[in-house]
Amino acid sequence: MKVLLQTCAVVAVPLLLVSCSGANAADPASPPTYNPYPSGILPADVESETARVQSEVQSIFQQALAEANALPPATVTGQPPTQQGSGYQSIATLGKLMNFDVNMSALKNMACASCHMPYAGFGGPIPSVNLTMIAYPGTYHFRAGKRTPPRYTYSPFFPALAYDDTAAAFFGGNFWDGRSTGYLLQSPDAEQAQHPPLDSQEMGLPDSACIAWRLSQSQYVAIFERVWGAGSLTGINFPSNTEQICSTPAGAASFGTSVTPVNLSPTDRNRANVIFDHWGQSISAFEKSKQVSAFTSKFDAYLENQYTMTSDELAGYNLFKGKGNCNSCHLDGRGTTLTPGQTDNSTAAQANPLFTCFGYTNEGLPLNPRDAFYYQTTPDALGFTPNPDGFGYRDLALGTFLRSGYGSAPNPNAEWIPLAPKSDGRFQVATARNAAMAPSQCPTTEAPGPYFQKGFFHNGYIKSLKQLVHFYNTRDVFPFAVTSGHCPAGTTEKVDCWPMPEVRNNLDMTTGKLGLTDQEENQIVAFLQTLTDGYTTPYPNIDSFTGQCTTGGTASTQGNETLIPTPPLPPCSSNVCAIAPFPNPAIP
Amino acid sequence: MNRLILTLAMTATMAALFLPNRAAAQVPPPAKRAKHVRIVEAPQVEMSTDHLTIIRWTTNNPGGSDEHYGVVQYGTDPKDLNKTAKSPIRLNQGHAHTTFRVRVDELEPQTTYYYRVATEESGGRRDPLKSPISKFITPGPGERIPASPQRGRGVQPIARQ
Repeated sequence: MKVLLQTCAVVAVPLLLVSCSGANAADPASPPTYNPYPSGILPADVESETARVQSEVQSIFQQALAEANALPPATVTGQPPTQQGSGYQSIATLGKLMNFDVNMSALKNMACASCHMPYAGFGGPIPSVNLTMIAYPGTYHFRAGKRTPPRYTYSPFFPALAYDDTAAAFFGGNFWDGRSTGYLLQSPDAEQAQHPPLDSQEMGLPDSACIAWRLSQSQYVAIFERVWGAGSLTGINFPSNTEQICSTPAGAASFGTSVTPVNLSPTDRNRANVIFDHWGQSISAFEKSKQVSAFTSKFDAYLENQYTMTSDELAGYNLFKGKGNCNSCHLDGRGTTLTPGQTDNSTAAQANPLFTCFGYTNEGLPLNPRDAFYYQTTPDALGFTPNPDGFGYRDLALGTFLRSGYGSAPNPNAEWIPLAPKSDGRFQVATARNAAMAPSQCPTTEAPGPYFQKGFFHNGYIKSLKQLVHFYNTRDVFPFAVTSGHCPAGTTEKVDCWPMPEVRNNLDMTTGKLGLTDQEENQIVAFLQTLTDGYTTPYPNIDSFTGQCTTGGTASTQGNETLIPTPPLPPCSSNVCAIAPFPNPAIP
Repeated sequence: MNRLILTLAMTATMAALFLPNRAAAQVPPPAKRAKHVRIVEAPQVEMSTDHLTIIRWTTNNPGGSDEHYGVVQYGTDPKDLNKTAKSPIRLNQGHAHTTFRVRVDELEPQTTYYYRVATEESGGRRDPLKSPISKFITPGPGERIPASPQRGRGVQPIARQ
């Protein structure tokens, strides 16, 4: 039987976008600044740097508006209906608008991009924050999260979180702790985009319906409906106090225990939920486009015989897959371990290797006492206390998520709960791609620079790629039973003293004593720098950084001037460590 | 006319940027299990403090699940190895050999411990590996045996099992 495709509609949607700046409703009043931090925890330039990033974000938002206005007329045809020719471009453009829209935070001062700018590989954009408090200030200044913002280049390529029975391990998901599983949308990246807007310490919207509300008030209603259908964003009967509710940061005592303070009918609640899903899916489409996940690095060119690595880069690559064993987790998709005289003539297992195994591992990072999370132990003006446990908090990462534990999210699969002890301390293996990405004017992460200061791993303890490789190489060569800031006299932290792991359970022993020389460490760094997008084609908005580069010092001790002594640690909080099934062994 | 060409060029450029990429997310399948797993570098103390010892050894690549565990069964009586320490590692499917390293924590100082090693897949399936019983002595309080093992200078086996 022949199936005839019928043209169901030809629609040319006039976008009628207004290219203007600023919020589209009166900016909500900010509550009094929350500053529970001892002197020196907040960087001195945090306010000016936050303003700098907001300006950059708004500039790219205007760029996205111009791109939306330049979209060709939409032609929806076929069954199922498809926006022929321009569908990909339309949804990615919509996602870009959403990603750079500061109105999607409670106080209209923070977009997703505020913690994820292009020049940082869509990671943290403020050097002083990366150097010190590592977690970014949220919409309510200065609440802050607890981890570094993960780079979201290539995050759409992670599969939905699953426990692989054959491998007896978890794969996929998004976030450091895997809490964005993708179980519902089957896209962990799309679900990831749903979390920060509702996080009390990030964008702070108190109800997912606030996304539907703010989108309905946005400058790009037309493009939303071009992508998701006429009427898909309008028609919800929002109560008159919706903006007042959405302008009150999440966690406020006035909400009590309600997670749906916007009072909607069941029908309208369902419609708002669908819009919220479209929000995540649109942003994921943007993140999967070449504007974010570009595959334009030197390494990509090398795979296509369009780039010849330098001797150091090639030596670093051979170490990466050989003695350094980096590609046991950061998979390059190719053959490995050549013996003298052999030639690598293997073909790539994947067209574009992603340099991650999508797995989870505990590398044994020391607790970073500069993490702003530890200090938020008192209530803010809205009666919200971000971290009542202070330094009693331990980051068990995937293990805490599987327990639906404190500071994570509900685990949607009860079968996984018994696996929590085996998962304690394990964080997602990030792609190595774009770890080295930095703005055009300070195009390295390494001192003496001029360099752009990044923070590596989940808690930003590591400040340069040199330190990162040195950590893998010598963690077990220079171990000391001390916390950060207490290395013995005569040693240098991160050089010949590594403080003890924050979480000892499930400590990965693939690395820790690799036997690399100093030169070999540098060669691996040189190879990592070949994984930065923008070689074959300029990376979009790599030049949007308007801040200052840093110069001086050495990569080995980069940032050591900001080390502070870890205070005596109280026992692990019962909120974290006394949730069954208990960590084994018990965490002190 | 020029404006039209410019508009078309801009549209094409932006369209190219918004097109999706080609990589697919794949979880690599586990490697084929080796028929025989043998020790090619004997177990040895990599580093030891008064409370912590790291034991390392190398085998041919056992294959199976990428996530593997090194296992050390240990105790102060060579006939009663009543404690077990396990540490995860990831196999590199392209490597001919695999080095296992296991942290043995909460030891007593200046104490002789006997041990043997094993390897297992993440799901608990033991690899077919035969290991001798070896021993190590923890240093005194505050002392440290540095992490500088020499290749081939492992702790001598005291018995075959």
